[in-house]
Amino acid sequence: MLSVTARKQFGDFTLDAAWTSDQAIVALVGPSGSGKTLTLQCLAGLISPDSGRIIATGRTLFDSDARVDLRPQQRRIGYVFQGYALFPHMTVAQNLAYGVRNGARSDLTNRIIDRLGLGPLMARYPQDLSGGQQQRAALARALATDPDLLLLDEPLSALDAPLRRELASELSHTLRDWGKLAVLVTHDLAEAYQIADMVVLYDHGRTTGAVPKNDLLWNPSSERVARLIGARNILEATIADTSGDSIVLDWRGGRLEAARSPSHQLHARAGEQLAFFVRPEYVRLIRKNRPVTDGLRQTNLFHGDIVGERDEGTVWVLYFRLARPGQPSQGEYDLEIEIPKLVYERLRISTDRHWDVSIHPGSIQVLPGR
Amino acid sequence: MDMFPVWLSLRVALLATLITVAAGVPLAWLLARRHFPGRDVISAAVLSPLVLPPTVLGYYLLMLVGARGALGRVLERWNIELAFTWKGAVLAAAVGSFPLLIRTAQAGFESVDRRLEQAAATLGHSELSIFWTISAPLAWRAILAGTVLAFCRAFGDFGITLMVAGNIPGRTQTLPLAIYDHVQANQLDQANMLSLLSIGIVLFLMLALGRAARLRF
Repeated sequence: MLSVTARKQFGDFTLDAAWTSDQAIVALVGPSGSGKTLTLQCLAGLISPDSGRIIATGRTLFDSDARVDLRPQQRRIGYVFQGYALFPHMTVAQNLAYGVRNGARSDLTNRIIDRLGLGPLMARYPQDLSGGQQQRAALARALATDPDLLLLDEPLSALDAPLRRELASELSHTLRDWGKLAVLVTHDLAEAYQIADMVVLYDHGRTTGAVPKNDLLWNPSSERVARLIGARNILEATIADTSGDSIVLDWRGGRLEAARSPSHQLHARAGEQLAFFVRPEYVRLIRKNRPVTDGLRQTNLFHGDIVGERDEGTVWVLYFRLARPGQPSQGEYDLEIEIPKLVYERLRISTDRHWDVSIHPGSIQVLPGR
Repeated sequence: MDMFPVWLSLRVALLATLITVAAGVPLAWLLARRHFPGRDVISAAVLSPLVLPPTVLGYYLLMLVGARGALGRVLERWNIELAFTWKGAVLAAAVGSFPLLIRTAQAGFESVDRRLEQAAATLGHSELSIFWTISAPLAWRAILAGTVLAFCRAFGDFGITLMVAGNIPGRTQTLPLAIYDHVQANQLDQANMLSLLSIGIVLFLMLALGRAARLRF
């Protein structure tokens, strides 16, 4: 259990972090300059918050009311810095021994060396290691002190994309085997999803609470969270009916049926405005004037035109405008639709621009909060 | 030829360098890494020997350590006399060389990645231990360069030494002062010999420094 409340003023910037994680690995996700690294430094004791409280597995590391502020040396934390911060004048072996009392190589250190495959690298200097090897050496150095809490600041961002994916899963396994608390800072939601159990979103120094990663992606609690995770097609509708199994929305003069969220209670009533989003890859294109036999495809069926498109390599993004009067909901278009390149070619979308689309009720994500 | 000025100058420069390094390296680290009240004032004061006329500096030093000076009276109790002694020459040389060491070493400490020191702290090491195991070893090139610069400056000091220690042959006459006296007495051969010797010593040190800086650690 890790509980953090920290306020810190830095000129124009204010960090106001508040979250509690009851899972082993929590990821702090947000753009650069949103306060993620600052939070790690507060956790490590390298910076003192102006006010707040930090409790890790029952130990109070910082409490401005009780005037507790443990020094970094007393906090029993391991810190993997961005860029790794390996000591350049020491070998890997010396780097690993640096944090171990009396310098002797313990069983723990030996296990870590084996686990991370550092054995053949022990006599090398950091500048003679590849990026991935440096990352493992830095991780080993932090784990060798047997910390209660591990902090990782962008541990993979210095690596090339293919290696990054590989090491993300390796890191996830290592952290799970290790089994204690870890806080991961990353700007990449996919990386956070791959490694962590819970996610905290950072935005201009403010945070959402820690949310189980699946809830975050598949059941975001509010429009703000949806924007932070980069959801597309965030739209507004009027609630028409909430009495049935599904929620019926009034959108662009038509009816839209949306599945209920399994976890968030919807308090809004008929007639009120509501935000929702539609995943672009779940909108289905249906050729016009073809009899629709599949019952499901008849729900949320709309006529319209493709008014723009973007080639993203393996997929195409299409901008779809409903054939309805009134202002399109996203400027020039109503929906962003994503389809595989193969489908784009097979359907001859480059020449045929008039389509029906069907939106599966389960792919409409209703956002209960702002 | 009288070699006394050469030996005196080497001894004075060596002692002055030791004092400068012992006091200057920690101060350089403080200026590089800590923000404390009065930091700017100290920084400016430490650099003033670079810009003040040596005679002005020497004059105030003499006032300080002379028989009636504040420091002079304190030192008198322990029977230490600085004014017009070779010890005064050491003080003069140390003051003149101090800013060169500070500037170079401070830049060296500032160029050490801060995260390395932070990493050492999270690995349980105290500030003092971090200084000895991380900061100083990583800034050693700059510290060494500053030390050599300080030695050369101390070895060549004229104005401050003349004011504080005087120019007493056989007692406080350092090599630069001896060269001046030889020129005044039109003994150009001796002046030339001592000048060439000075150049040789400084050149040797600079070359040795260049060699050392290419070593890895």
